[in-house]
Amino acid sequence: MASLETPLFSLKNISKYFTRVVANNNISFDIRRGEVLALLGENGAGKSTIMKILYGLYQMDEGEILKDGNPIQIDSPKDAIKNGIAMIQQHFSLVSAHTVTENIILGSKRGRIDLRTASREVGEMADKYHFDLDPNALIRDLDVGVQQKVEILKTMFQEAQLLIMDEPTAVLTPQESENLMIFVRQFAAAGHSVIFITHKLKEVMSVADRIIVMRDGEVHGDLLCQETNESELSRLMIGRDLIAPHKPEAVKQMDDKNGLVVRHLSSKEKETVSLSDINFTIKPGEILGVAGVSGNGQEELCEVLIGARAHTTGQVILNYEDLTDLSLRERIAKGIGYVPVNRYRDAFVMSMSLAENMFLKSTYDPVWQRHGFINFSQLNRQTDASILEYNIKAPGADAVTGSLSGGNQQKMLLAREVRLAKSLLILNQPTRGLDLGAINNVHTTILKAREENKCILLISTELSEIFMLSDRIAVMYKGRIVGIYEPKELNTERIGLLMAGFDDHQDEEVAL
Amino acid sequence: MKRILNATWRDMVLTNFAAIVAGIVLSGALLLFLGIDPIFVFSTSIRAILTDGYTAADILLKATPLIMTALAFAFTYKANLFNIGAQGQFYMGAIAAIWLSLELQNRIPTALLLLIVLIVALAAGALIGGLIGFLKERFDSNEFLVSMMSSYVVLALMNYLLRTFLKETKGEYPQTDPIARSAWLPNLIKGTRLHYGFIISVLFAVLIWVLLYKTTLGFRIRAVGQNSRASALSGISPTKIYVIAFLISGALAGVAGFTEMNGVQHMLIQDFNPEMGAAGLGIAILANANPIGIIFASILYGALNVIGTQMGRIPGANVPSSIVSLMQGFVMLFVIMAYYARTKIASRREKNKRKREAALS
Repeated sequence: MASLETPLFSLKNISKYFTRVVANNNISFDIRRGEVLALLGENGAGKSTIMKILYGLYQMDEGEILKDGNPIQIDSPKDAIKNGIAMIQQHFSLVSAHTVTENIILGSKRGRIDLRTASREVGEMADKYHFDLDPNALIRDLDVGVQQKVEILKTMFQEAQLLIMDEPTAVLTPQESENLMIFVRQFAAAGHSVIFITHKLKEVMSVADRIIVMRDGEVHGDLLCQETNESELSRLMIGRDLIAPHKPEAVKQMDDKNGLVVRHLSSKEKETVSLSDINFTIKPGEILGVAGVSGNGQEELCEVLIGARAHTTGQVILNYEDLTDLSLRERIAKGIGYVPVNRYRDAFVMSMSLAENMFLKSTYDPVWQRHGFINFSQLNRQTDASILEYNIKAPGADAVTGSLSGGNQQKMLLAREVRLAKSLLILNQPTRGLDLGAINNVHTTILKAREENKCILLISTELSEIFMLSDRIAVMYKGRIVGIYEPKELNTERIGLLMAGFDDHQDEEVAL
Repeated sequence: MKRILNATWRDMVLTNFAAIVAGIVLSGALLLFLGIDPIFVFSTSIRAILTDGYTAADILLKATPLIMTALAFAFTYKANLFNIGAQGQFYMGAIAAIWLSLELQNRIPTALLLLIVLIVALAAGALIGGLIGFLKERFDSNEFLVSMMSSYVVLALMNYLLRTFLKETKGEYPQTDPIARSAWLPNLIKGTRLHYGFIISVLFAVLIWVLLYKTTLGFRIRAVGQNSRASALSGISPTKIYVIAFLISGALAGVAGFTEMNGVQHMLIQDFNPEMGAAGLGIAILANANPIGIIFASILYGALNVIGTQMGRIPGANVPSSIVSLMQGFVMLFVIMAYYARTKIASRREKNKRKREAALS
């Protein structure tokens, strides 16, 4: 039935070229009335670009947009709004010092504003969609989830027929996401259309009627939700089958090393979390996973271990050698690699080339220099070798690091740090913000480093990652290690409680 | 790759040429308003440069100290620091050069004297620069303000010395005795004022380029300049780099003091060349802080200067001296705008390439 009627909007053969990439190549699809359309793809697949074209933020280079079968011109968001299109960006556009009502009527009222009537209208509208919202609250006092509701109401107020949402669940808790899905279904049932931009397969399956899969700026699938499944979607999205890396069970131990020993490590921080009495060991070839909600001292622990942050008491011993009083530079020389959570800030000089960033941590190492001069030919050779080995998509060693995609930057960082990590590799959320293909790649690299008998400290907020890779799991809360467990001792629920600070020793005894 | 490089070079030459022409045309239009024939004025002054070797050589003469002060600014700029005090470091170099030349002249051979004076002038500039770096390292002071104020301190010191220890034997004006001919930097071209200082400046520019882009020290300086936190986590100490960068920067400005004293002025006069630091800063920005680019930008600046002087000298034309500064300003402005035009052209070229590739596939 749906195919017989004229679609609300049709995109026909749209292309958009950027300086470095073809962001959209010959994109065509329809948006029908009363339909929830999911736009699925990895980072950089061109999802946001095509939506920004539809919303008038970008101008297309080729192609046309039809509304009810007639060509329309969208040169600015104003044109888009006039045509009944609304978009909620990943980063909200609300005035934080204004009230909910003021934000909602912003841009749609002229002349004298009757705030009392407006606020009543907003209240009624919120009730209609079961949004629990005070029209007179200030935006800055609201949670992110509530702010999103304000954004949604704003589009309702503009009487949008099509609502575009760019990764709307990225900022929400699981419960809030569920509520959002209910709203989306309700809104579509009333005859409106919704486009949902996402890279999460589960969300797509739960809310969409139809799914457009994008990859490398092109449409690679236009499927009905009932007729597909997650594995087909993931294949279309990534372009190949994703094989989860295999983790070998037993790893051979070397006798002459005993790995990393951390004893009674404490630190005193003014602005962040202080570490208190941290104790753990990591044997060569072992991955110690550290689970915990972000901001519980994980980054501080990493930085104390690499020597970037002062500690008050305790000892760090690596392969029988006391590192406690060594500087950061000396610790690098002892074979410690570190993948920080924020590579832009802590790991790379983005405007420099890949080779230069490869060199960054080795400026005091004689390997790539002679009498103070950099040995570029050797450095480039090593960098090119790493690009090949880690399958990094880059034109060569002289490519500017910042021009690479996030996933490829992360592979480059791993290449550098694994090379430096002769004994110990510290990883802080190494897959944060990466797409599925790149995550898979990072996991494979970590497991390979494990086989090479390095000690590995893996900090992550993703429990699935912790469970998949770790040999033992430590849980961190407020600068302390609450406990270290075998993976089989823990399940998601129990680790969740530990991460939230509930000490379960007594429960455990009772339960046993 | 090679084609792109060629295109980049072509853009560079064309846009910069267009910028210079645009600046001259615009200032010519202003001359029209004053009732002065711009074509006559420009052709006369340019002819003077082309036909008169003395005038042509003056372009390089003017560029000589500017290369050094521009390098001084550019060098700290690479470490994301601002050395606004090149003027003071230049004066310090000049004080050291003139004092030492007066002490050593006619006692030791010229070559040895010049070498010693060069090193001491360099050290004198480095002393002031190093002090700024040290204050930044130790107390995290704002190097922008400290370096700027340091110029006034050195100026006061210079005035004091010119009235006391360094005052001329006649005791009339606040200036030193002229140095003996044996302490002069030798002429580069006979019949002109151009001296070996120009070669020294160009060598320093090349040296700084090598230092910045080929050595580990230069790499560390650039790394700290672009991301000091990542550098610190890579074992490089940013504060140490700050001191080193300022030491070298001050040394470069100090050398300009040497070339001006022993090459051109041959004596230290109160308040001479007061625009050296500011002009160097402008040139460094013009050249995008590239040491090799600085050589060309300084020559351009010198050329504008000489054309301006020539214009002022044309009998009966009455070209006001402010028009000369205006012309310099316009040309600088357009050259900087050309930089943005180039990025735009390059970006469009890339985009069209993508379009063609997409069409093919």
